[in-house]
Amino acid sequence: MPKFLIWVAVLAALIALPHGLSFSQQEILVFLTINVLLVASYRLLTLTGEWSLAHVVIMGVGAYSSALLTKKLGVYVPVSMLLGGVVAALIAVLLSFPLFRMKGFYFLIGSFAAGEIIRLLWKRFRDPFGGAKGIKGIDPMPDFSIGFYQFDFFEPTSYYYFAGVIVAFCLWILWRIEKSPVGLTFHAVHWQDKLAQASGVNVRAYRTLAFAIASGFAGISGALLAHYVGTINPNAFDIDLMVFVLTWAIVGGTATFYGPILGCVVLTVLNEIVLRELGLEQMRPLVYGAIMILSILFLPNGLESIVQKLTKRRAAKSAPERSPAE
Amino acid sequence: MLDLLAQTGLNAVYAASYISLVAVGLVLIFGVMGVINFAHGELFMAGAYAIVALYAGLNVPFFLAVAVGLLFVGCLGLLMERALFRPLKDNPLGGLVASIGFLMILQALAVMGFGVRMVHIPPVTQEVIAFSDKVRLPVARLYVIIAAIVLLSALWYFLKRTRFGWALRASAQDPEAAALQGISITQTARIAMFIGAGLAGIAGALTAPLVSVNPHMGHSVIVTAFIVIIVGGVGSLEGAIVASVAYALVHTFVTTFWDGVLADIVGLSLMLVVLIVKPTGLFGSADRA
Amino acid sequence: MTDFLEVKDLTMRFGGLTAVDSLSFKVAHGSIHGLIGPNGAGKTTTFNMISGFYKPTEGQVLLRGEDISGLQMHEVARRGVVRTFQHSTLFAELTVLENALVGTHMPFRPNIFAAIIGWDREDRSGAEARAKEALEFFGLDHVMQERVGDLSHGHQRALGMAVAYASHPDVILLDEPFTGMNPEETRQMMDLMERLKADGITILIVEHDMQAIMGLCDTITCMSFGKFLAEGGPQEIRNHPAVIEAYLGGARHVA
Repeated sequence: MPKFLIWVAVLAALIALPHGLSFSQQEILVFLTINVLLVASYRLLTLTGEWSLAHVVIMGVGAYSSALLTKKLGVYVPVSMLLGGVVAALIAVLLSFPLFRMKGFYFLIGSFAAGEIIRLLWKRFRDPFGGAKGIKGIDPMPDFSIGFYQFDFFEPTSYYYFAGVIVAFCLWILWRIEKSPVGLTFHAVHWQDKLAQASGVNVRAYRTLAFAIASGFAGISGALLAHYVGTINPNAFDIDLMVFVLTWAIVGGTATFYGPILGCVVLTVLNEIVLRELGLEQMRPLVYGAIMILSILFLPNGLESIVQKLTKRRAAKSAPERSPAE
Repeated sequence: MLDLLAQTGLNAVYAASYISLVAVGLVLIFGVMGVINFAHGELFMAGAYAIVALYAGLNVPFFLAVAVGLLFVGCLGLLMERALFRPLKDNPLGGLVASIGFLMILQALAVMGFGVRMVHIPPVTQEVIAFSDKVRLPVARLYVIIAAIVLLSALWYFLKRTRFGWALRASAQDPEAAALQGISITQTARIAMFIGAGLAGIAGALTAPLVSVNPHMGHSVIVTAFIVIIVGGVGSLEGAIVASVAYALVHTFVTTFWDGVLADIVGLSLMLVVLIVKPTGLFGSADRA
Repeated sequence: MTDFLEVKDLTMRFGGLTAVDSLSFKVAHGSIHGLIGPNGAGKTTTFNMISGFYKPTEGQVLLRGEDISGLQMHEVARRGVVRTFQHSTLFAELTVLENALVGTHMPFRPNIFAAIIGWDREDRSGAEARAKEALEFFGLDHVMQERVGDLSHGHQRALGMAVAYASHPDVILLDEPFTGMNPEETRQMMDLMERLKADGITILIVEHDMQAIMGLCDTITCMSFGKFLAEGGPQEIRNHPAVIEAYLGGARHVA
């Protein structure tokens, strides 16, 4: 069973990974793990053809909710993370009423406006959101032991394992959804909403469903972040991070499930590890921007198209190719 | 109270002036190229840094520095057209990403060249027109207002009265039909990019002595410009100007009487309401994008 | 045969223009009913009002006595009235089988929670069986794994009907199904419609070309300039003076 062996090897590599890294690199690894969930959930949203600019703010909704639930109501941390995701999904359902009147470019801009309004509300209302300084001293994940391993959540490695398990589970759910008839319906809604409707699909409901699920998982990723860094503020969820998510997805490619994840991992490693190691501190955004431009010019179907070429046998069966634009 | 109202009104006129310069450029680029230029705020920033380098650094006369800044940023626009938007003309989302990449490059260059901190620029003129004790208009702001009126009138004349302008409008409406009429799409794209970028550049250059110049100053500019072009109807130059004035009035008054964050919230809400009521923008047509 | 689908005083105005003017006709259960008329007669507008694509300005569409006018397209579809589209509107990026699977959305409504846990195996295999059945019916089973974009024109038309058929409809609305088909394809398509009818499905065809559907329809309603003109069997309509006049006049009008 070679495929099974590959998975075991990948798992072993992921478990061994933090031990070969410096402390700051371990921290980056934690952020990367969280961002993988963020970008994978974003892909689910793009399945229905809409590109939101509110996704990172929705992640922030999860972070703020989870932080406030633990701080004000004393909710147990892992539970609060789940609730953070639930709140994010509910907010998304609320936002869907104004936003899904719009399509394409207008949805993009409308979602940006909605996201910015939420972010500015955090900034303006010191109670309960803490204003521009945000919320500090968020309860960390309580330490626990599973017999052979002692989780100490001030250690990035421990948090990496913890977040890794949660993210892996969430990715599994996202993958199951995409490969299910629900996922097929998302595709249908994207490519021919009229025909989908004529087949009895409630297009609006499916758009909202995709938006809510994607937002729920973004919320969980935000909660994972909040309880790791211990402090959140409105600027942590601004358009800069959103731009990163967007570029991870587009540079990676959105035709496959792994495309955006690939984009996230490759660009993060490039940006945080390689460019740092090269000592290009101030030049990092410059090189990063140049890489973005070059990849969009010369790899319009994303990094995933390289992978698809390498594994052509499987590529013939995999998800259809498409250009992300309307 | 009346004084405060008058003063706030003057501030709003000043704000409307540079906002409309930026927004009109953005609309022009969107209309002709069909791409959202996310780097437009950074073109504004580049114009401001032209003043930092030439006027503050090399003691070039202010207005010469502004002219050079306009040309420089216009050429940046030409570069973007050639290197990014022309190869990506069938891929609007790709164009968007490429413009984000360009934005990061410009920001990084500004940081490398001038540092992250804001730069102080010696005032161009200390003169102030005093309408009364409390109602005062600094002449430096007057320059911006005059520039906006002159440039936008010139643009209007150019678009409505010249052959180039006709070609530009034709290719904005229907590129294929325009091409059949013998209009060079590449040529009109170049002109649109040069003018659009140049307008952002001159707005940045003229306001540089009045604001804090820093590598991230483009951020709030582009957000404002987006609000304005949505409220004004995407693709409508007149709409963008009207919306600039309306937005500047609302924003300035809310800032003066309440606070800046609330003003931002109000501005964004305004845009959201427009999008909800008329999901394709007030005057705009939805066929591009 | 009972009255099954009824159009009653249906009116559609676009601004000052009245595209359809209090049109009424009845479609009998299990029949093939043609709606014809010269260009600009308002056939397609009527079609769009029945299928829920447009909301009529006035009047009703009654299905088994229930007013379905003004419902959204998916709500109309869920009541058993499924439409096809004039041009080959399909999911070009998906495979033929996946297209048909979308058509099974109504009989096998996906459930997201069941899908995650894996408790929807029966539904999935049922949907696949139904999709394959529909493809076989239309002779598309040999191209099941191909991408729709690579299909021939005739196959795409057939697939459009297969997607509709996969949802177990009571009524199929066909929008100019013969446009752009050669005689051989037309003949095959007619055979398929006869078989659909034998399956108990009611068919309403909107067609510009009167001759194409003469041999096929049980009843034909002819409209002109948005108004009801005549109704009857094919022979009756063919010889109806008003119909002949409308088509000749229409032709003159168009020319």
